Amino acid sequence: MSCASGSGGGLRHPLRCQKPWDEECEEEAVCVIMCASVKYNIRGPALIPRMKTKHRIYYITLFSIVLLGLIATGMFQFWPHSIESSNDWNVEKRSIRDVPVVRLPADSPIPERGDLSCRMHTCFDVYRCGFNPKNKIKVYIYALKKYVDDFGVSVSNTISREYNELLMAISDSDYYTDDINRACLFVPSIDVLNQNTLRIKETAQALAQLSRWDRGTNHLLFNMLPGGPPDYNTALDVPRDRALLAGGGFSTWTYRQGYDVSIPVFSPLSAEVDLPEKGPGPRQYFLLSSQVGLHPEYREDLEALQVKHGESVLVLDKCTNLSEGVLSVRKRCHKHQVFDYPQVLQEATFCVVLRGARLGQAVLSDVLQAGCVPVVIADSYILPFSEVLDWKRASVVVPEEKMSDVYSILQSIPQRQIEEMQRQARWFWEAYFQSIKAIALATLQIINDRIYPYAAISYEEWNDPPAVKWGSVSNPLFLPLIPPQSQGFTAIVLTYDRVESLFRVITEVSKVPSLSKLLVVWNNQNKNPPEDSLWPKIRVPLKVVRTAENKLSNRFFPYDEIETEAVLAIDDDIIMLTSDELQFGYEVWREFPDRLVGYPGRLHLWDHEMNKWKYESEWTNEVSMVLTGAAFYHKYFNYLYTYKMPGDIKNWVDAHMNCEDIAMNFLVANVTGKAVIKVTPRKKFKCPECTAIDGLSLDQTHMVERSECINKFASVFGTMPLKVVEHRADPVLYKDDFPEKLKSFPNIGSL
Amino acid sequence: MQSWRRRKSLWLALSASWLLLVLLGGFSLLRLALPPRPRPRASQGWPRWLDAELLQSFSQLGELPEDAVSPPQAPHGGSCNWDACFDTSKCRGDGLKVFVYPAVGPISETHRRILASIEGSRFYTFSPARACLLLLLSLNAQTGECSSMPLQWNRGRNHLVLRLHPAPCPRTFQLGQAMVAEASPTVDSFRPGFDVALPFLPEAHPLRGGAPGQLRQHSPQPGVALLALEEERGGWRTADTGSSACPWDGRCEQDPGPGQTQRQETLPNATFCLISGHRPEAALRFLQALQAGCIPVLLSPRWELPFSEVIDWTKAAIVADERLPLQVLAALQEMSPARVLALRQQTQFLWDAYFSSVEKVIHTTLEVIQDRIFGTSAHPSLLWNSPPGALLALSTFSTSPQDFPFYYLQQGSRPEGRFSALIWVGPPGQPPLKLIQAVAGSQHCAQILVLWSNERPLPSRWLETAVPLTVIDGHRKVSDRFYPYSTIRTDAILSLDARSSLSTSEVDFAFLVWQSFPERMVGFLTSSHFWDEAHGGWGYTAETTNEFSMVLTTAAFYHRYYHTLFTHSLPKALRTLADEAPTCVDVLMNFIVAAVTKLPPIKVPYGKQRQEAAPLAPGGPGPRPKPPAPAPDCINQIAAAFGHMPLLSSRLRLDPVLFKDPVSVQRKKYRSLEKP
Repeated sequence: MSCASGSGGGLRHPLRCQKPWDEECEEEAVCVIMCASVKYNIRGPALIPRMKTKHRIYYITLFSIVLLGLIATGMFQFWPHSIESSNDWNVEKRSIRDVPVVRLPADSPIPERGDLSCRMHTCFDVYRCGFNPKNKIKVYIYALKKYVDDFGVSVSNTISREYNELLMAISDSDYYTDDINRACLFVPSIDVLNQNTLRIKETAQALAQLSRWDRGTNHLLFNMLPGGPPDYNTALDVPRDRALLAGGGFSTWTYRQGYDVSIPVFSPLSAEVDLPEKGPGPRQYFLLSSQVGLHPEYREDLEALQVKHGESVLVLDKCTNLSEGVLSVRKRCHKHQVFDYPQVLQEATFCVVLRGARLGQAVLSDVLQAGCVPVVIADSYILPFSEVLDWKRASVVVPEEKMSDVYSILQSIPQRQIEEMQRQARWFWEAYFQSIKAIALATLQIINDRIYPYAAISYEEWNDPPAVKWGSVSNPLFLPLIPPQSQGFTAIVLTYDRVESLFRVITEVSKVPSLSKLLVVWNNQNKNPPEDSLWPKIRVPLKVVRTAENKLSNRFFPYDEIETEAVLAIDDDIIMLTSDELQFGYEVWREFPDRLVGYPGRLHLWDHEMNKWKYESEWTNEVSMVLTGAAFYHKYFNYLYTYKMPGDIKNWVDAHMNCEDIAMNFLVANVTGKAVIKVTPRKKFKCPECTAIDGLSLDQTHMVERSECINKFASVFGTMPLKVVEHRADPVLYKDDFPEKLKSFPNIGSL
Repeated sequence: MQSWRRRKSLWLALSASWLLLVLLGGFSLLRLALPPRPRPRASQGWPRWLDAELLQSFSQLGELPEDAVSPPQAPHGGSCNWDACFDTSKCRGDGLKVFVYPAVGPISETHRRILASIEGSRFYTFSPARACLLLLLSLNAQTGECSSMPLQWNRGRNHLVLRLHPAPCPRTFQLGQAMVAEASPTVDSFRPGFDVALPFLPEAHPLRGGAPGQLRQHSPQPGVALLALEEERGGWRTADTGSSACPWDGRCEQDPGPGQTQRQETLPNATFCLISGHRPEAALRFLQALQAGCIPVLLSPRWELPFSEVIDWTKAAIVADERLPLQVLAALQEMSPARVLALRQQTQFLWDAYFSSVEKVIHTTLEVIQDRIFGTSAHPSLLWNSPPGALLALSTFSTSPQDFPFYYLQQGSRPEGRFSALIWVGPPGQPPLKLIQAVAGSQHCAQILVLWSNERPLPSRWLETAVPLTVIDGHRKVSDRFYPYSTIRTDAILSLDARSSLSTSEVDFAFLVWQSFPERMVGFLTSSHFWDEAHGGWGYTAETTNEFSMVLTTAAFYHRYYHTLFTHSLPKALRTLADEAPTCVDVLMNFIVAAVTKLPPIKVPYGKQRQEAAPLAPGGPGPRPKPPAPAPDCINQIAAAFGHMPLLSSRLRLDPVLFKDPVSVQRKKYRSLEKP
């Protein structure tokens, strides 16, 4: 039904039809009918008396039914919205005091104690994680309840601020699902972050009655402060059967490698204090201890260090005589000197993180935030996220019995390594310690990586700070390997319609001993390739591939027909390269299989006047590109060119019908970080009957276009990956005073 | 008529109303019948509590530090970890020194050679008192070689019990606090950070050198099978995963369809090798897969992967859950070519670096323990997990990857733009004034060091040069040339002999080339090795040929790290050999660099090719009438010590871009290189 027809009738009720024109159609229509019926009702008396009574009753009944029906429909239209929105209102504005109360009978079941032999393949039900094309686990969070015992005394604090934040972070992440049947991991909303705030037996009972508990399989508990006086266990004491534990303060004896996750003890100070990043470098104090309430024996050891090394060591303690209103947690004192905490940490190169009764200390987080290198003195402590984080890069771990040697151990670390560690420490804090959210997501990522190991995040992604990630190059062909000569190469000739020249190229190339296959990419859709009988007869297989569209990128498509690793891209007019030159080019490629090895070389230059890059094809002493009119390269780069070319470069090249070779040079240089290899002396790439590369290059507009390409690609790559070198590769005895007939590649450089 | 019209209009209005009613009502009913679509914001996520701001922190500020007053924990009885059970105080000073208990009674050949290889290593010490690690070899039980309790046992403290083959010795004594290095320990008994997991080596594993990896090309060959499966009798069988979705399911094996080829192979030829976690020989298969460059896919292994403490196995293998076979298969089929490429190469690198010989396995074990002792100066993970590997990248040289010649790209750094010239002046002891001048003329030269190594007294006056000149009084030994002098402050070294003759532009060009290949040697004069059928051994020649595999160190650029490697990692016997037969020193240096880089050296043009084609053997008496014949067997002795022939041949020379091109000389930067 259309709004226009309804409104066109001009029957809008003056009161109810005040909605603007673009209101929903349905409401408009309802309004029209209602107005209409009202109008008829008003006219009614004039009409009805003339009818028979039977008809009258009939009509009146009919009208009222219609009217009622319409009103009901109208109500129906509007009601559900308001019901839902009031629901929303309930969700958003609920109070924690109103959560449902669950009474736990004293004899309700208690889970078994944690099973120390648990591993992912024994205690974790991986079937629940089923097949997920995104390789992402799904996490369900139980609704918040308040648990009380038989006497109505609550079992624990309902929820702490941090645990609420943690569950919120999970709920906002991609891991979250509200469908309990699709979940692979379950997170109870029972807060066990701090063991001191809960009653152990009753909390365990509360866990056991969760709807999918099933001996704790696939349940994840978060705990930061485990154990309690007097013996301070290093893992949560609440019996939890097979549940996974993300715990702060594991020791080697309680940590189930590959099953539990070691997490940091969150420092609430991080949220309160904003410590701006301080660059690495020497700081006022070499070693600082800021913890209060240390064991007296340790304090003695530290103070002995201070006596021995003087100013460079600072041991702080609680302040005893602070004036009223000053937060004692934000101050530290040494004798009568008062220091701001945690700011003072930024004044030290190394900061001591000593174990207390618990192994995990929140001060670790403060120290990392300050970019101070933590000196962890806590035997058998499993450092946070140690499964994935390389703590050797950010901390120094010293055995407790070596505490008196700490100073000399630290002094033996070279300054450069210290600065590296300072940077790394700050990066760890920013990425994994900063907020409860960061801790929660890192924990889930670790579990996710165990379940989908083939999609796991790499060591570098976990550990390298963004600056290193950006600057480093990981060569896809990093293994030093010289492929056997017997493999040979596949020549790919891109052609349009220059059949005669193409046949000459085929004949020439087929003379190269290491050629193993020849592939002609027929890029002309309007013309069929010549018949089979017309092609030159050569000793290797010759295949013709017809393309669907005349695109330059067809040259770099990873055709299934390419069976060798080495690919020779050659234009259909390059007939001046000798067999020796091509064979030598292949030999050079074998020694540099990760580079572009080509014949005509080109250079990019910075034009200071125009402030942009310029393309250069003159006789220069330097080379930064080779033309792919004749070049060897690894076939993997075809895959990269076709599927991994950054930005819109590929389409841009196809649209402009130019610069596919520059794009390839950019791609390879960017991914390997290496320069091209130009082989053999410079030749005039000119033949009498065809327009060759050089002939074309001389064209002024061509040069301008090529320069544009370089500037365009540099901006897409965000950097200039091309490397300039001053060498080219020649045969060992090239132009040496040596009998030509004894040389392996005599026919080089001749025209 | 009128009434008919009225009635008609009435009927019309009525039916229109009915129509509307039905439509509207129907629509509403339809909406009710359909399940409500989840609305994006209103899904049952974690609620935003009204009073979230009022919630208390899990620990009150100030409460945290207070919990500390409690005595330090004593280590749990029975169980050991590194801090509790290893006394590093004995390792202070020299680092890791290892004493090996001599075998009692007759010993097998394997045992003897393992002993020899440890004794030849830099870790060895004779005296158990000085050793910080005492090694107890517990070899094959079948030959009755079970050790009894040794003398200095001391409850096993600082002991390492090395079991290469998991044939268990009857426990004649309690292990106590000893560490165990064992082949494929079970996950449950393995103590991470204390024990060492070894690979499960086959009985016939080579002691030294070892077979190189099977990988001949970086990317998988087209058409090669995706998956290889273990066979009962020790072979491998390739499976065509396209047709069958359950290649390792028992039911499918009963029905060998056309897609499955039954083939016995000792080494698998496939992209992935599926290894079940249960079978005892799985660890053996794992090693085979590594050697073959077949990416191991381990289904819930119950054993610890070898050297898992330092090797990042996620880069070379896939550890998957055996309960999700279909997902694993799908993941393998969909894996990106980039990942497959990286995994394949890593298997080969790891095989060559740590597993291909018994000697490498033992040295890796010791290196792992040394890293624990070193703490902060241990190998960074990058050094363990990228070529050439931690055995060849000594952490005593540096712990910063950018100090080594191998990691510039990964670190996003570049080699320094300057070099140090190290000129060795052997007999007769003429100060190489012309050479110093030529080298000092290079804009890249940072310093010149003269190593005075002959009987004549040091000249009191030297040339005035633009760069600092230092004279070192050597020990008259040839191996002095490759000592890591602390005075060398640049990454690049130009090693020269006093009798070499170079021009400034040769030096400049060669240095620029070295900057592109900082891990290789860049030299002017070359020689090549060959297999001498007649003598059944290796030979080498300095004659002009179309290829070369060594550059002479009398004029070559290389990274200063190779001095450290030469001095600190070579067995003493080899350095003595070099001192006794000075021509061997070139061969030895080329062997080291080739063994590390697995690449040939690089040759640059040299103007005086003709006159000095013969090797510039240092130590030759007087003004050479003839170069001394190379000690005939030094290449074979060195090859035997390395266990394999690392040298590789190259057929190219790097020339300036316009070298001898028919263009105006004015355009050329390195004109003088072309002078005859």
